[in-house]
Amino acid sequence: MKKTIPLLVVILGGFIWLAWVFVPHRLLQDVFYYDFYLPWARAMAPFGMLLGVMSLSMMHYGKIRRKAPKWQYSFFFFAGFIATSLAGFIGGTQKGGLYMWLFENLQMPMSSTMFSLLAFYMASAAYKAFRARSAEATVLLVAAIIVMLAQVPLGVKISRHLPDISQWILDVPNLASKRGIMLGVGLGSVATTLKILLGIERSYLGGD
Amino acid sequence: MEEKLTLFERIQKLDRRWVYIVVALAIIIPLMLPYNSDNVTSPPTENVYQMIDSFAGREDRAILMSFYHDASTMSELYPMQVAIIRHCFERNVKVFFLSFLPQGAPIIDMAINTVKEEYPHIKSGTDYCNFGYIPASLIMATVIGMGDNIATAVPTDAEGRKVENLPIMKGITNYTEMNLVIEFSGSVAGGYWLAYARPKFGTNIAVGVTAVMAADEYPYLQTGQFIGMLAGLKGAAEYEKLVDVFAAYREPGQPLIPYVDASGKKHVPGRPFSEDLLEKSDIQDLIKITTQTEAKFTSAEFESFVTTQSLTDQAKIRQAKTESDGKILIDVSKLKEDDFESGTWSALNRMTRNTPYKFKVARIGMNAQSVAHMMIIAFILIGNIGYFIQRARTGKK
Amino acid sequence: MTFELFSNLVGAFFTLCIFSFLYKDNPLYQMSEQLLVGISLGYSLVLVYERTFIPFFVQPIFLKHEWILIIPSIIGMFYLLRFSRKLSWLSRYPIAFSMMGVGASVALAMHNSILVQMRQAMVPLESVNLALIFIGTIAVLLYFFFSKAHTGVYGKFVDIGKWFMMVGFGASFGLTVMARISLLIGRIQFLVNDVFMAIKQAWF
Repeated sequence: MKKTIPLLVVILGGFIWLAWVFVPHRLLQDVFYYDFYLPWARAMAPFGMLLGVMSLSMMHYGKIRRKAPKWQYSFFFFAGFIATSLAGFIGGTQKGGLYMWLFENLQMPMSSTMFSLLAFYMASAAYKAFRARSAEATVLLVAAIIVMLAQVPLGVKISRHLPDISQWILDVPNLASKRGIMLGVGLGSVATTLKILLGIERSYLGGD
Repeated sequence: MEEKLTLFERIQKLDRRWVYIVVALAIIIPLMLPYNSDNVTSPPTENVYQMIDSFAGREDRAILMSFYHDASTMSELYPMQVAIIRHCFERNVKVFFLSFLPQGAPIIDMAINTVKEEYPHIKSGTDYCNFGYIPASLIMATVIGMGDNIATAVPTDAEGRKVENLPIMKGITNYTEMNLVIEFSGSVAGGYWLAYARPKFGTNIAVGVTAVMAADEYPYLQTGQFIGMLAGLKGAAEYEKLVDVFAAYREPGQPLIPYVDASGKKHVPGRPFSEDLLEKSDIQDLIKITTQTEAKFTSAEFESFVTTQSLTDQAKIRQAKTESDGKILIDVSKLKEDDFESGTWSALNRMTRNTPYKFKVARIGMNAQSVAHMMIIAFILIGNIGYFIQRARTGKK
Repeated sequence: MTFELFSNLVGAFFTLCIFSFLYKDNPLYQMSEQLLVGISLGYSLVLVYERTFIPFFVQPIFLKHEWILIIPSIIGMFYLLRFSRKLSWLSRYPIAFSMMGVGASVALAMHNSILVQMRQAMVPLESVNLALIFIGTIAVLLYFFFSKAHTGVYGKFVDIGKWFMMVGFGASFGLTVMARISLLIGRIQFLVNDVFMAIKQAWF
């Protein structure tokens, strides 16, 4: 019972959406989509965000209470969260305010730096882990080296044909393999969404 | 023999922190010492350039730039965005901006303000319009709604003005006029536009992606679903080069900004794209990364340049010129800005073919990229040589 | 010391805190990591409040009196009941509402990922490249078809798919290396130009 009604909502709603793609009738396009679905989806949307806030806050609060390892750093989470939220609610979200200053000078540099750490890990992996153990791995490494060389201005100086070879690698074998994989993934995702639509796949409803 | 092998073993066991230091130095040094290099342009980038250039000066065409990424991928995507905005401002192409992610909105503001500093004649609402952040729940409604009427789908812009009253909307109704959408993303690029805008309305879509995603987007390029693609920092460097060679190029004596002549005809400066021009070696002068302070002219070019300035400035310029190799040179670093009118000073600086730092960020980055790639290839080769020698050694045992 | 230089120095400080992780896990890195999560969450919360909550919940219901929208708001609040053990089954309703869109994605995914790609793969094989693309696409597709054993001539054909994929992954790897390094270059450009050079200009 607890799962049946949501399941019916998904199945019925799913078929109406399917009809929406193909049927240009006013009932579907205007009444269903603009007058029903859109206002309802918009009214529901903000609460999903609250879920994330509550979940993280509860986790860090629990850490502080239990004095779990590294619990002191959870204070910094709350400090950042409360400072930014208050700055936004009280000060406003316009460009010169504290809210945007915190975002542009703390969040933006830190999140870019987190990603840039990957370059170091990649260099260390290239040194320690990328071994041409088999013929296939050798082909992979050779293709990678050709593409890497052709991307940089130095590549053209090494050989005039390098950019063309690299472009051919990207346009032909790479395209064939990505297209094959894309078709496979597409077929798989159509199968999964069809299973959800017909109510066969129910894992998104969670456990009991 | 023994010593050489233990050397390889020692290299193999090297602490990874030494590797990190080498990586850091390999990038810091080329960035601090810029040198000139050439990025060969590829067809995906050229196609994007040509399509945007075909809208030059037209009232009834515009492009839409969708910033679907956050600050973490800015290193690759921001130079692309700055280059495209510069192209549009140089060649008088109308441009709209929007972002479906909250973190994308400040990036739009940063990009516009960075480029606007060099183009004081560009006005918000007339030459460009920023729709700002549009919540994710409205993506489908906006993408589909713009196919009927843009001003209804997005009622107000980021500054709170009503879109339908803006001067930029004169001649623009929906996707038929705003015919190119460029989406910048670090993950799924162009997904919503491909699914809803292209099949229903036939919009052209181009993408600017990080290099990670570039290989995966080639199938869409071949089917024509994407008319072009800018792939990572290299794509940004290629686009910057194209802008410097074509859109930002000024013939000596040509006006710097678009104007309407006496008969009502609009003139857009810069020159159109041409494959043959890219093959010529003298365009290397236009794309130099190092700071340029000397303006070079042939005597005919010098005359046509000088005669467009005021009489007092003409005298000063003729006084400042030197000759070398049959060319007339003017060294801007030896002159003072206050001695000349502002129009003459900007024209002189333009003739040095010097690019401001912010418009060559990607090309400087590509220099560092060259060194870094060589280093990674060296790491792979050293690692593999050591591995094979060790394998041969254990095989012998 | 201009305000811009001060802001850039703050950014540089936190950048270096995160880079310090490369040497060793340390308190500065832990602090910056938690700060980053907190600020990101605070930023999104305020923006969602301003751009989604006010225009789509407060204004329609309390200003325009569209009382019917109280129903979806209550269903939306069921998201939060996920944490209660007794009532967490109610959280399935808002999930079900958003999963309805799956019906449209069946048709649209089929069009974009499958039909269009298939149509472009079925072009006349006028050049060597197109023939190679055709053979490669079929070989890669068959490589993942596990209902038939990869033996004999069929196995050898399917092996071609493996080689195509190796080249494709090699190209992806080469481009990934470029992408990762570009991200690092961006950060170091910030440190070198906006911070180091600015300090040099301000004080020397």
